[in-house]
Amino acid sequence: MNGVVEAAGVSKWYGEVLGLNAFTASFGQGITGLVGPNGAGKSTLFKLLIGQLRSDQGNITLLGENPWNNVPLKRRLGYCPEQNQLYGWLTGQQFVEVLLRLDGMPAAKARVEATAALKVVGLSNAAHRPTRGYSRGMRQRAKLAQALAHHPEILILDEPLSGADPAGRVHILRTISDFARDGGHVLMSTHVLYEIERITNNIVLIHNGKAIAAGNIHAIRALIDEHPHAVRIDTAKPRQLAQALARMDHVVSFEFPASDTLVVRTRQPDAFYRELPQIVSDTKLEVHGLESPDDSLDAVFRYLVG
Amino acid sequence: MLVETAGLTKVFGEVRAVDDLTVKIPDGAIGLVGPNGAGKTTFLRLLLSLVRPTAGTAKVLGRDIEDGVLVRERIGYMPEHDCLIPDMTGVGLVSYMGRISGLGRDTAMSRSHDVLQFVGVEEERYRKVAEYSTGMKQKVKLAQAMVHDPELYIFDEPTTGLDPRGRTEMLDLVRTIAKSPGRNVILSSHLLPDVETICKYVVILDGGHQIAAGELSQLLAGATDRLRIDVRGDREGFARMLNEGGFDADAGPTGLHVARKPGLEAAVFETAKALGAEVRYMGKEIRSLEELFLELVARTEKRGA
Amino acid sequence: MSITLPTYSRLEIPLLGRRERLWAIIATGLRQGVRRPAAIAITVLGAAFTTITSIILLFLSFLLPAGQGTGLSFFAVPASNPFVLFFVSAMAAVIGSGLIADDIQSMAFTLYLSRPITQLDYLLAKAAILAPLVALVTILPLLLTALVAAFLGLLSWTIALEAMGISLVIGGLLTLFYTAVTLFLSSLTRRKGIAAAGVFAVNFGLTIPAGILAESIQNPSILYLSPWNDYLAIANAAFGASGAGIDWPVALAILLGVTVLAALVTYVRMKAVEVITG
Repeated sequence: MNGVVEAAGVSKWYGEVLGLNAFTASFGQGITGLVGPNGAGKSTLFKLLIGQLRSDQGNITLLGENPWNNVPLKRRLGYCPEQNQLYGWLTGQQFVEVLLRLDGMPAAKARVEATAALKVVGLSNAAHRPTRGYSRGMRQRAKLAQALAHHPEILILDEPLSGADPAGRVHILRTISDFARDGGHVLMSTHVLYEIERITNNIVLIHNGKAIAAGNIHAIRALIDEHPHAVRIDTAKPRQLAQALARMDHVVSFEFPASDTLVVRTRQPDAFYRELPQIVSDTKLEVHGLESPDDSLDAVFRYLVG
Repeated sequence: MLVETAGLTKVFGEVRAVDDLTVKIPDGAIGLVGPNGAGKTTFLRLLLSLVRPTAGTAKVLGRDIEDGVLVRERIGYMPEHDCLIPDMTGVGLVSYMGRISGLGRDTAMSRSHDVLQFVGVEEERYRKVAEYSTGMKQKVKLAQAMVHDPELYIFDEPTTGLDPRGRTEMLDLVRTIAKSPGRNVILSSHLLPDVETICKYVVILDGGHQIAAGELSQLLAGATDRLRIDVRGDREGFARMLNEGGFDADAGPTGLHVARKPGLEAAVFETAKALGAEVRYMGKEIRSLEELFLELVARTEKRGA
Repeated sequence: MSITLPTYSRLEIPLLGRRERLWAIIATGLRQGVRRPAAIAITVLGAAFTTITSIILLFLSFLLPAGQGTGLSFFAVPASNPFVLFFVSAMAAVIGSGLIADDIQSMAFTLYLSRPITQLDYLLAKAAILAPLVALVTILPLLLTALVAAFLGLLSWTIALEAMGISLVIGGLLTLFYTAVTLFLSSLTRRKGIAAAGVFAVNFGLTIPAGILAESIQNPSILYLSPWNDYLAIANAAFGASGAGIDWPVALAILLGVTVLAALVTYVRMKAVEVITG
């Protein structure tokens, strides 16, 4: 029981509408991506974690504590909500400062921390412009600054990249990586799967209010038996290579999508990769390229959620 | 030429949103990328003839943007923001838009059902748009852009708000349209990997100017032709063995990079066998559009600063 | 034999022209606009009520010992039917206030303008949705009243036809005025409630205070501010009656001027609107 987030049988209903349904998972060390279809329960989970909602059933703890009515815990977390409406007439600097002071920070310290946080997210130049003039990427960064400014232990980010331009996305991802590298935990939700893969291998997959999978993407992928791993091999002699590979009894099928391509499906990818160099070297068949197209978060999502 | 501009300029007060832009964009699947404030939105508005240029000219599909109505007959536009009429049904809205584009009532209705089928809206088409999920709304937005079978589609962030499955579906639809002969697509998006998988030609804007444009394959051709290898096991040892074997390998954070030479691929597997290591990926070292983009924008910033 | 799979399909038909495109907007707008129960109620009640009261007023005017000769001037009374004021306000508020405001609210405006029509086309179509409905209250009752009077022998056919002609003109003017002003107000806001309130303000907010003020300070010129009083002046003059208190040429200029100004400003603002956000 030492995950950053521990949830046991958590349920939350809004009348008839499902929020979470017996959600059970343990996760959160380092950077964790929260992934799921729209309506799966991500926002509900966030609201439970920041103490805005109380569960109808089950227990949930963050950093070992119950988030409900827990002001000291709130100080240890930084939350970045999804919606983009900031107080348009405030400047970026004022926005972060005001929220810090609402938290109880003295004014002078708030100013210093706000300036520092805005620098970390790269908004120093725009800090004294009203936020109504900010692009969407800048607003995301302003929200991130206010989440970071009080040096929390954990960041909870709801769609932090949405609407940001390419430079903004890179900057935000880097800020998140740096935060994690310095010992913080990050829980972030996004629909753009390849961006999560860039900064972490840990995910929680939510669907219909339940946690379908939690952990390392590759480990999860390896567990999905119905979809054996596909490995695409570029070779001039795909059929001869297939013959050689057929010796391995964990291989289930071959496909020849092009005259110089072989797609092998195997139940045990680790064993496959371990044995492949021997076979290639023994048969002296030329292999030009090698790729596993479905060992990705996108594939995991597709196979588990559909 | 899909789009030809000459000195196209649009000034809003003090802001030169589009500044003396002279470009020639060919037919096909075109990506339009740029930082916020680069002028992408204004450029698209100019192409749709929704704003008049301050200076310069432009032609879309051979028609001058002076005659906006003529230009818009052949364009289908999918805006980024919400824009559907909430009280109409999906099929009602799409056929309505078809009629405003000049389709007869029956043609519009028949076509409306066809495109809604194509984008994957089933019985929901008879319900009011106000009740639709985000994914459905995006599909209806796409359908209304398709109903009159335009020659040019303009997609502005088509996957906004969609969950991973919705994103995949939408991108597949865009790709199918882009591949359709005689049909052209301009895809404006911040998600550069999406642009990479769909578009063959890319236009990069910044500060109202075009800072790069060209075939994606050419823009992204690596400076040196290297092979990238993902090794599980003793990576350092792997690189060392390859170097001893006469190759030029170095182990970086994204894998091993080795300059191509004859016999390299065989040597890779020999080395793996010898070390008991696994080769998990072997392929071209291609720069990504994102790297190129960030490089170019940084260069422009430096020049301007 | 071949199989046609439902993939992306092409359309090779020449497009229909401007008239059909505008008609699509008008027809759909009329259908949508009158679909709501409130809209149906107002329209039907408005047309019926104003027609019936106009006819009653005409009969009453015959019975009164006014000392004037029979004829055209009687028609000034039904033409001054105050229920017209009420129902026009109600129609403009219920049906007209959302015509443009709803499109701004939902941002459907972008979709319209991405179609091969111009801003002017859009405005003309919207006007053509509202005007016929308003005419059901401003013109139709007068026409029917003249017909009924002629059929019952209360007026000769020549006079009745003349009355109908005049009704078309002044009713048409009132229709144009309200259409233009309502569309203008509707284009100012995304909340149609505000536009509706604006219509009521223009009507009752101007008419009633103007009337009271003019009485109390004995200066009839204030009545020019009230569109209804301007209309009354014109109607009275057109039918050869007297006693409006203000000069009809000035009133006519005011009504026409406001109509044209409202239309123009609406058009200019539409052209300047930033169509795509973000």
